[in-house]
Amino acid sequence: MSDDIRVCDVEKYYGNASNVTKAVDRVTFRVGQGEFVGIMGASGSGKTTLLNMLATIDQVTSGHIYYGDTDITELSEEGLSEFRRKNLGFVFQEYNLLDTLTIEENIILALALQERKKQEIQETCSQVMELMGIADIREKFPYQVSGGQKQRCACARAMVNHPRLLLADEPTGALDSRSAQTLLETFTGLNQRMGATILMVTHDAFSASYCSRILFLKDGRIFHELVRGAKARNVFLQEILEVLSLTGGVNPDD
Amino acid sequence: MIDGVSPHGHRYRRNLKVKNVLAYRNMKRSARDYLVYLLTMTIINALMYAFNSLIFQNGLREYFGMEGVMEVMIGLATVFIVLIAAWLIHYMVRFMLEKRSDEFGIYLLLGMKKKTVASLYMRENLLLGGISFLLGILFGILLQQVLAMVMFSMVRMEYHLKISFHLPTMLTTLLCYAGCYLLALFRCRRKFRKMNIKSLMNARRQNEEIKEKHEGARRVLFPISILFILMFWALFGRLGSTFQVMVFLVGLVLTIYLFYLGMSAWVICYVRRRGALVYQGQNLFLLRQFASKVRTMQFTMGTLTALFTLALLGASIALLFSDYENTVLEGKFPFDVQAYSNDIQYGFEDELRILRKNTEVSGHYIYHIYTDKENQVNTWMLTHLKVWGTMYCKGDGSPDAGKIKKMLEKDGVYYAYDTYMGISDYNYLRGMLGYAQAELGEGEYLVQVKPRLLEEMQGIGKDLKIRDAAGNGFLSCREVCGEPFSQDGHNGADYIVVVPDEVLRRMEPFYSELVADLAETAPLGLEDKLDDLRTVESSTSQWYQENDLRGGSDMIISSVLVNQVRDNLIPEMKYMLASLMIPLLYLGLVFVCVAVTVLSVQQLSDSAKYKANYDVLAKLGLGRAQIRRLIGRQLSAYYLCPAILAIVISGRMILLVSSRFVEATGVPAAPGVFFLRSICLFFGIYLVYFMVTYVCFLRNVQQDG
Repeated sequence: MSDDIRVCDVEKYYGNASNVTKAVDRVTFRVGQGEFVGIMGASGSGKTTLLNMLATIDQVTSGHIYYGDTDITELSEEGLSEFRRKNLGFVFQEYNLLDTLTIEENIILALALQERKKQEIQETCSQVMELMGIADIREKFPYQVSGGQKQRCACARAMVNHPRLLLADEPTGALDSRSAQTLLETFTGLNQRMGATILMVTHDAFSASYCSRILFLKDGRIFHELVRGAKARNVFLQEILEVLSLTGGVNPDD
Repeated sequence: MIDGVSPHGHRYRRNLKVKNVLAYRNMKRSARDYLVYLLTMTIINALMYAFNSLIFQNGLREYFGMEGVMEVMIGLATVFIVLIAAWLIHYMVRFMLEKRSDEFGIYLLLGMKKKTVASLYMRENLLLGGISFLLGILFGILLQQVLAMVMFSMVRMEYHLKISFHLPTMLTTLLCYAGCYLLALFRCRRKFRKMNIKSLMNARRQNEEIKEKHEGARRVLFPISILFILMFWALFGRLGSTFQVMVFLVGLVLTIYLFYLGMSAWVICYVRRRGALVYQGQNLFLLRQFASKVRTMQFTMGTLTALFTLALLGASIALLFSDYENTVLEGKFPFDVQAYSNDIQYGFEDELRILRKNTEVSGHYIYHIYTDKENQVNTWMLTHLKVWGTMYCKGDGSPDAGKIKKMLEKDGVYYAYDTYMGISDYNYLRGMLGYAQAELGEGEYLVQVKPRLLEEMQGIGKDLKIRDAAGNGFLSCREVCGEPFSQDGHNGADYIVVVPDEVLRRMEPFYSELVADLAETAPLGLEDKLDDLRTVESSTSQWYQENDLRGGSDMIISSVLVNQVRDNLIPEMKYMLASLMIPLLYLGLVFVCVAVTVLSVQQLSDSAKYKANYDVLAKLGLGRAQIRRLIGRQLSAYYLCPAILAIVISGRMILLVSSRFVEATGVPAAPGVFFLRSICLFFGIYLVYFMVTYVCFLRNVQQDG
């Protein structure tokens, strides 16, 4: 059985009997191991809902999500926590760093929760901080560093346990263009050099152009798919912009 | 202009209405967000009303000759309570101001005047105070009935429920409460005056910044504080001069405050040093969270520790008196009526006449206490009892005759000569009390002592040399008895030596005693009528000297009375003890409620921030159950910290005070028992607040998954 992630006929409804909102409507796709997939769509298209269901922090109304052989829609609450701990890494727009912990401690905690040995934690932490270029700010608290540095720390924390899937929700949303570019290059590096599988939700065409494949969502359904293949990034960006212009662009408020 | 009102007037009224609506809505939100605070203020109000009622509606006052004691004590307690409630209100008003500073910044940004925002905030707080006052009064009326019932049952009187509203009590409570608010809000207005939009908008962000400077140096304060507490434990009982006590108390206050600074620095250094715990599960998060909270609240934590310490002290002392009341007091007056006279010819005819006139006397007995004009028993008592220490000994441990003589003649703890009683009188009195008859063999004597001295005096027999009836040989000690036997001056002071009747022939009567059994409960005021027979015009101490009535070694609570009517005295003493116990418990209750409220409010108001942290932890893979446990550990550490420090500090004082109390009064309990009881009492309240906080905290943190 492959290690791919399969989303099969997933639906998600919100509301009550008199007022139902269909956020995700029979969505099916597959993410191959080592892929860097982007999800784009207008406000209310259901992209964040889809990401949350893949992230196990929201439940499907119907359908299945398989990580290899494991159907996460069948797991209990405790099973989901364990699954999350062992298989997933998160990077969000708001960084989600713990403000009472230093940059280094934020990464240590992710490792300590996996019950790793002290020596191993120290070594892995140092390596990942070097890799992300945040070793010199290791003793700073989140409020003392820039947004880009915070996001790289979040990225380091997400990657430190070698998750099966790295989920990123508008990771460049709060960054200036230079920091955003650095972060996206980091993602590309992680994907290409370390074989990390990444699923990124974004409204930004420039960010999406770093992906190897893009799924476009509209009204909870996948209405288009773009594959980068061997194309240069700027050519791929052009294609993305063309798709967006056809659909009237995306609203970043989603 | 419509209805003759100017547009300006309309605008003013509209503005006022908008402000009132805004104040009302904000108050509603504050009441929801700070429910624990609202509850505590309601409880404090209810307590104030109920206890103030003891000043104005004290139905017992007329029965006892201690006018004003209870009132003065409650009044004193109220002063402290007003101060502490003002502190709580001031703390909360400032705290809410900080938490809502960005909101106030927006009001200013929208063009509201600083004065308007300040008055809006004051209005909100006064509305909140008004609600807690009204609720408190309602709850207080019920509480007052409970309190009155407890008081009446303590003094063995029947109480009929009488739920009524009493204006002076309400006005006094309102005055106290308004005083608290005025004290608290006065400083708040100044704070508003100094603020500007930028500082208001930045205030929350500043709170979240963690400043870590000089942690290495600050860390030293932690072991220093612990060292001081150890020294305090070792030396507190041995402090001789007032200066030493003052130095220690100042050191203690400093320790309480510096302990938290040192502890947070120590935890921060431990985390920075990457101690082993840091790498285990969620410990890193817990340690950092704890250190950061303790650091930002170090002064408050110190104050809370001081409050807990005072509450524990107050409760323990109240429990000491309560135990005395329940265990010793009944035994203090074993006879229904007892009277003393230093006139050996006195026949107690007047006393008997008054008794017969006011109640039914089922039996009486008049007898003499004898003396051999020696001082060997008194000397033994002064040189052997723990309560006197080495006060009456010379350097080599032998009795200091000069000091003993002076003591017996002037200070008047023991009679000037040893006191004796014949076996037949002794057995008659034992019979009246329902005790088994004592037996003395030929050439034997026994010593009857106060129950608390029984153990200490077991060895007295081997030291006494009491001559037999002929005066040639010596009697031997058969036993030392310790049943309650009215030995606060009547049947001797602390002790009476019981000898065969024939031995009394070589002694002389010392003073006369009357005991009487009543067929029914003595009427109120009977003792006063007996006292009126021998009007006392001089001061109490002179009077004792003239009458030569000596009470023995009882300290803290002693009852040296010429006439004793048990049914009058026990309620009176209970009332007097209640005058001490009730204000102490009142203070303790309020102090603990205030302290736990601050702890709860601190945690609950930060729960939005904590929610974000726990969401992150959930994303890192922590399950709901793990997060619940983590929250439990976080809150426990935070709640236990000031409580444990308070227990450690107050423990030494309470153990010392209670061991002295047990020694002086003979309460049959280990000194530690009172401490444990007061801990249980307050930790009951503590636990209730903890559980409420835990449940609300969980709800806030885990809502919406």
